Amino acid sequence: MGKFVQLVVDGLSTGSIYGAIALAIVLVNQATGLINFAQGGMAVLAAYVAWWLTTHDVPLVLAILISILFSFVLGAVVERWLMRRFERGDPDTAVVVTIGLLTLITGICGWLWTYNNQQFPSLFPLGTVSVLGVSISIRSIGTTLVIIVAMLLLQGLFVGTKLGLALRAVAINPQSAAFSGLPVGRLLMVGWGLAAALGAVAGALVAPQLTLTPGMLDNALVYALAAVILGGLTSPIGVVVAAWIIGVLENLAAVYVDFIGFDLKVAVPFILIFVVLIVRPQGLFGRKVVVRV
Amino acid sequence: MRRHTRSRTAFRIVAGASALALMLAGCGSRDDSGRSGAGDSGTSPGITDTTLTLGITTPLSGATAGPGTCTVAGVKAYFGAKNAEGGIKFGDGKTRTVEIKALDDGYDPQKAKANYDQLKGDVFAMTAGLGTPTNRAWRQAAIADEVPQVLVMTGDPIFSDEKESPWQLGFVPKYQNEGEAMGELLATSGGEHKVAILSQNDDYGKGYVEGFKKAIEGKDNIKVVKELTYEATDTSVDAQLTELASSGADVFFNAMSITPLMISSLQKAQQLNWKPSWFLPSNTSSPGAILEPGGASAYPGVYSVSFAKAPASPAFASDEDVQTYLAALKQYGDYPDPPAFPHCQWSWMVGATLDQAFQKMKEPTRESFMEALRSIKDYQAPLMLEGTSVDTTQGDQPAVSSVVVQKYNGRGYDTVQSFD
Repeated sequence: MGKFVQLVVDGLSTGSIYGAIALAIVLVNQATGLINFAQGGMAVLAAYVAWWLTTHDVPLVLAILISILFSFVLGAVVERWLMRRFERGDPDTAVVVTIGLLTLITGICGWLWTYNNQQFPSLFPLGTVSVLGVSISIRSIGTTLVIIVAMLLLQGLFVGTKLGLALRAVAINPQSAAFSGLPVGRLLMVGWGLAAALGAVAGALVAPQLTLTPGMLDNALVYALAAVILGGLTSPIGVVVAAWIIGVLENLAAVYVDFIGFDLKVAVPFILIFVVLIVRPQGLFGRKVVVRV
Repeated sequence: MRRHTRSRTAFRIVAGASALALMLAGCGSRDDSGRSGAGDSGTSPGITDTTLTLGITTPLSGATAGPGTCTVAGVKAYFGAKNAEGGIKFGDGKTRTVEIKALDDGYDPQKAKANYDQLKGDVFAMTAGLGTPTNRAWRQAAIADEVPQVLVMTGDPIFSDEKESPWQLGFVPKYQNEGEAMGELLATSGGEHKVAILSQNDDYGKGYVEGFKKAIEGKDNIKVVKELTYEATDTSVDAQLTELASSGADVFFNAMSITPLMISSLQKAQQLNWKPSWFLPSNTSSPGAILEPGGASAYPGVYSVSFAKAPASPAFASDEDVQTYLAALKQYGDYPDPPAFPHCQWSWMVGATLDQAFQKMKEPTRESFMEALRSIKDYQAPLMLEGTSVDTTQGDQPAVSSVVVQKYNGRGYDTVQSFD
């Protein structure tokens, strides 16, 4: 029983990381119709900023907050000065640009801070807590909770504030939004900034476990994209749920399904994707895109 | 308006991800080139009357970059210091300086092979590169081309088998040697022990487990209660640790070659409140780079095997060998910090062992070099621990096959005779 609960909680914790990056990808996609492959790379850069600050005696929490702010600005700048010119063009071109951006950021991190593994201090102690007689690691619970809180804050922003309303308007119909006097360009920058800030949270949470390297989130990005397809590009809640499903299933399948084991567990989310794409092309929670003619 | 449909977007994500995977596999090569001398007639490539060029392909980026960077730094430091003294007097009477050309393979076998192809015409010998799959990728080619692939950092037995690999020689002990030394220590402890094993699902992990099991065979007081594997490409072994922890083992043998995974294993077991004694391979048991961040002091004992003095250990802080080495590493190896990985010390020894061979080789040819290299016996290379030595004459063993078992003392290691 203890083993099962721990596996589920660990799965939720890794799933939360995938989920945060997946959510960032969905945010950007909703606002601009693009898939940003550099989402993970930007998060790594933010983690490096936080790490660099901690090596200069800045307290960890403050360093992470500064890195989130940095990431917000970085996201906005990338949107304004790089992606803006591709947003109304061919989406394929834009994808290539974001992949190029990922390579560039990875290279910059490696050049500035080497490819060695850096030790990133953890927000959470290494201990366990006992819940109903089952001991669960604090770090896994903490990671999951922080991501959930970040998502709730975002949800609150989108649903409960004027800015959020404007952001949604731009996402749904940029032309009409512009006609009604909304500063579309600035709102797009905010959208990208928010996505990057969310990525920075994920980066700071996962860095202590993976140790900080320029390619730290390459794998997470692939899983995040899997979650995006599985959950559906149009459903923020859907991708997070999908990411949790992927994290938990991967863990459980390895331990409890003999023929999968630890060798094949990598394939689990991708088999899921094939099944979902065949049965429900719009994703588990997505809506079909309908085009008016 | 977005006019592309949902399935097209999905297709685009998949296509993009594939392109990305291909690209990640192929980026980040670095060339620290020295000038290569064109081969004169009658001599092998990479050697002139005044210089000799060595080639290295090793991971300088990716998860294994830390140890990989060290494999270059130690050799560079050794020959940098020698070159500054005017060079090395070879067995043919000429004095030569030694240049190093190092390329990054990111621990990717295909890139390692490409690097070898790029280097083989300009270098006299390939050396010091880290990694079993990466060294295996061009082993056959090196034999066909008759290019020495010597003193490489892999414990794979095939490199130390003279019949199978006439142009190869491993440097570090075979995985089996290390596993066996640890198993023996445990077997002679007298107490009852339950062992959990986690191993990398390749020759590296299998070799360690094989040696370990050979040593505990027929010992009634040692029982292996659970065995699991992981893939070298995995980014997390949390699930494995959770499963192993529930086995109630009091000894954990973790045959793992990936630095970040080893750190997270040490952390994860604490998160699960599982506190066994650990046995670790020599290349993933560095006090500064792994045990400290992993919080290894929480465990009753962390054991590993070694043949090199650890500069961080108080016992060797004022050792003359260590002083010389650290100064050279800083000055010639582009490695400012005290080294976090033992590979820096190992590759310094590789330099010293090559130096021995250079002094013995009668002709400026690769054949003569291999002959000289295979004739080094009981050489106490700088930085070697008491009770270990370089011996290349055995025909089925790497240059270093002797190890001592050590226990972590919170800062460095102490050699131990018994498991308690």
